[in-house]
Amino acid sequence: MSPRPAWRAALSVALLAVAAASAHGQPAPAAAPVDEPAPPPTEEPPPTDEPPPTDEPLTPPPPAGPPVAVDPSAADPEVTAGESLGDAAPDFGPMIVLEDIQVVGNRSTAERVILRALAQRQGEVLRAGDPRLSKARFKVLALGYFRDVSLALRKGSARGRVVLTVTVVERGTIVLNRLWFGTSPLAPWWLGVDLTERNFLGSGLSIGGGLVFADHGGVEGARDQWGGELRVGAGGIAGTRWGAFGTATLQHGSEPYRIAGDFDDDALDRFRAFSYRRMGVRGGARFDVTPTTGLAAELRVEGIDADVPVAPTATLPDGRVVAIDLGLRRGSSRVVSLGLGFDRDTRDDPVLPHAGSRVQARVELGSTLLGGSYDFTTILARYERWWPVRPRHAVGLRLAGGVVLGAAPRFDRIHLADVNRLVTPRVLGMTVATATPPDFLGTDDGGVVYGELGGNAIVEWSYRWFRRPRSVYGGDLFVAAGAWGLATDDQLRTRTASPWDALPIDLVVDAGLRIDTELGVFEFTVANALGRVPRW
Amino acid sequence: MVTRAGLAATVVVAAALAAAGPARADDPPRVQEMKFTERGKALLVTGSVTSVFDPGAYERLGNGLESTVVIRLWVYPKGKTVPVAFQLLHRQVVYDLWDEVYEVALSSPSGRRTVKVKYRAEALKLMTSLDAVPIADVSMIAYDTHYVVAVVAELNPVSQETLAEVRRWLSEGSGGGLDRGGSFFGSFVSVFVNLKIPDADRVVRLRSQPFYRPRPTEPPPKPRKP
Repeated sequence: MSPRPAWRAALSVALLAVAAASAHGQPAPAAAPVDEPAPPPTEEPPPTDEPPPTDEPLTPPPPAGPPVAVDPSAADPEVTAGESLGDAAPDFGPMIVLEDIQVVGNRSTAERVILRALAQRQGEVLRAGDPRLSKARFKVLALGYFRDVSLALRKGSARGRVVLTVTVVERGTIVLNRLWFGTSPLAPWWLGVDLTERNFLGSGLSIGGGLVFADHGGVEGARDQWGGELRVGAGGIAGTRWGAFGTATLQHGSEPYRIAGDFDDDALDRFRAFSYRRMGVRGGARFDVTPTTGLAAELRVEGIDADVPVAPTATLPDGRVVAIDLGLRRGSSRVVSLGLGFDRDTRDDPVLPHAGSRVQARVELGSTLLGGSYDFTTILARYERWWPVRPRHAVGLRLAGGVVLGAAPRFDRIHLADVNRLVTPRVLGMTVATATPPDFLGTDDGGVVYGELGGNAIVEWSYRWFRRPRSVYGGDLFVAAGAWGLATDDQLRTRTASPWDALPIDLVVDAGLRIDTELGVFEFTVANALGRVPRW
Repeated sequence: MVTRAGLAATVVVAAALAAAGPARADDPPRVQEMKFTERGKALLVTGSVTSVFDPGAYERLGNGLESTVVIRLWVYPKGKTVPVAFQLLHRQVVYDLWDEVYEVALSSPSGRRTVKVKYRAEALKLMTSLDAVPIADVSMIAYDTHYVVAVVAELNPVSQETLAEVRRWLSEGSGGGLDRGGSFFGSFVSVFVNLKIPDADRVVRLRSQPFYRPRPTEPPPKPRKP
């Protein structure tokens, strides 16, 4: 293996520099400086050697008026008017009394759901220019149930009294979350779908779920897999910043593990599989600290019934037979855990971002003290940041990583597909392929599928192909490249180098097209395609 | 095979690239004739951004709710991308249903004034006309050099804060299931109710014709008396 400290140091410096800028709340280097107006699009030709001016000259000075100096640093053009010159002044416009609030156009959505989203109440006294009135439209739009929302006032029964009319145009609220399909030697075909009805019976409740089936291939011990999930959620309960969610999941699975061969030997006779069943519920609450920052807490209870071999072993390429840890208790076991999550999202667009950042962190603590069978802690963190570099072009940095401490069940460890998008992702948590990732750097990643320490660092270039106001909102072309690593605690414990040098690291690349539509987001990428067909 | 050193270089170069260059929008502006005058120490521009209103927006001026127009003006040396001056104007209008007048508030760095007019057309003119608006100190405008003025006018712009709130409401999911890892590490995940909220009801981008400031001619010397 080649020496590594130099490039590792360079990578560390680059990543730390970016992280430090974010941690201190400094503007992105590429963003417009606060005291210098950013230029709008000018499409100006490059400077040329022009003849003497022939364009329109200034008119002769008129009689002098009071001079007005304009300081270009007096205002930041990047902020909106509401922020720079004051939002609609609360004292602007005539004083009005909301005599009534009428909702028009709602066929399936309950009126109370719309009225609850509005900040205004019947009988409220306010100015017609009150910014809360103009924001009310967005609060209703944000429900996600309507294609359009418009507000208007008309005269009420007496002077000063008005009727607020909220006109809504409903839209379909069934959303396609995920489609699963593909083929591999382990699962000759798999198919699944995940849908959500965001406005169940017009109540404002979100109810969704997914179903998936995977045929079993020729791996000994494998069986057909199927799984289902049901989710319920409610946001902004009673007009507050609190939300709640709950999920129930059932899996009838079959988990492969390697018993022989080199890490890139994907012959089916090199694997065995054991059956398992998982049934769990997860529920919790979320609180929006600010419009861009949220906290979540949750409780998870899950039962696992696994037909794990009594003493599983694997034969290494050099002929040695070693015991392997499948990360599950034989028979029935339970996972009981508490989780905390943090999310801060300042990106300009959650689907096709070209600016801003997102930070997510999550800690989950499972314990026998809570009634579970496993004592473990998982800490996961993710950071991404986008810089617009030229018109239509942006560069993004995505960092994600995690560590699993203790004896976590197999399914709570970091999976290879979590950190390397060139690997077939799990389907509703179930494994449907055994293909290993390409070994670009020749680092022989050891064939780790589930690890305790892993992550990736990816740089992505994105090109804004098009934007439209309706149906198909936009498309971005992108190319991504970066590094990923995944290791078990055994690899890190029984090593001959420093932990940093012992962490297997390799390259991940991807390229393709992302389409943002009214129905959902679609990715057509190299990695996505590779994950659905048999390979190497 | 890609070497680790090559990988490191790629990441570092990409990070450096990310730290360079300002952000700009990408829609080309429309050229519109504007009038420039010099008054005292101020460079003034006269023009209009009426096109920021379409017939629907014009009708909505009478709905009793506030409408806002934000106008940004930049002065550039022709062919350059760094402005020498910037001006921001903020205008609001609301129709008083009972008094049947339009109340218009005009704000700029020099102050705020409120005007009441009877007719919608008058309100539209107040909201969109650039009537001898000071956009630069003439000391920033070099003699015999070409300049252009770029204008971006937005009707009912939405603050980033409000957009962020909407996005957050829209993206409120219903909690993850057991597929924890995949959803957490994925490049991006799941699709939510994906309603696009525009930054403003309408946006127009204009650019003036080039103009220049002629160097004052020195008066001819007075003939000496014999």
